[in-house]
Amino acid sequence: MTPSDLLSAVLLIAGAAFFLAGTLGLLRFPDVYTRLHALTKADNVGLGLVVAGLAMQAESLAGAGKLLLIWLLVLLAGASVAHLVAAAARQRGIKLWRR
Amino acid sequence: MTVHTVVGRQGLEFTPREYLRSGCLRAVLFALMWWTLTDGVMDSWLVGTPVILFATLASVVLLPPFSWSLLGLVRFVPFFLWRSLYGGVDVARRALQPRLPISPGLLDYRWRLPPGLPQVFMANIVSLLPGTLSVELGANCLQVHVLDERKDFLSELEKVEQRVAAIFGISLPLSRGGE
Repeated sequence: MTPSDLLSAVLLIAGAAFFLAGTLGLLRFPDVYTRLHALTKADNVGLGLVVAGLAMQAESLAGAGKLLLIWLLVLLAGASVAHLVAAAARQRGIKLWRR
Repeated sequence: MTVHTVVGRQGLEFTPREYLRSGCLRAVLFALMWWTLTDGVMDSWLVGTPVILFATLASVVLLPPFSWSLLGLVRFVPFFLWRSLYGGVDVARRALQPRLPISPGLLDYRWRLPPGLPQVFMANIVSLLPGTLSVELGANCLQVHVLDERKDFLSELEKVEQRVAAIFGISLPLSRGGE
């Protein structure tokens, strides 16, 4: 195992940990707004780390670029959809959970 | 009261030369994307060239040229990567702690950015940064859901807005303190 393989494995595992934490947040957080926080942020970082780990294993520059493109598209989609879901929830008068 | 005293190019008409410049730049970006998607296979350019031309045309029609700054963009990238990493760690930490340390609230952030692309861009960025989620993109305010209302998000949002303004080459009025 080369050092770059090791780093790649560490990044992939760290990415998976973020996905796990994001899913846990989705299940544990009390309302739609807080759940969106867990999904957008944890998954964005999780995917970023997975993409970084995979890009290190990519055979070509174009392959790494493709992964980066995927991450950027997911960022854009994630942020826009989170905003749309939150705006729709607000319009329907869904109250936010307060401590 | 609106504070849109923006010293930018927004709202001004663009000259054909600027359309051409922006079109060329976007064509280069689309070509780069095509190269990435096809692994640079030579034969693919037969399809790629018309696709790139059409994409450029559609892009310029749908999103007219806007002023932006390379320096602002370059400075934004590390800031965004670092803050969004922190955002992920922050929300993961809260989700994992047994007592669930969150105290959500809503706040209205009065825009200093001009409407259009800069505001939409900022609303999207806000959703990816620590503890904030854009709820409503209003004419005067951005309504933000925060995960922990005890934190000072106002100065945080002001910093983000400043950075977004730098990307679009806009100078903002000075910070106006609390609301």
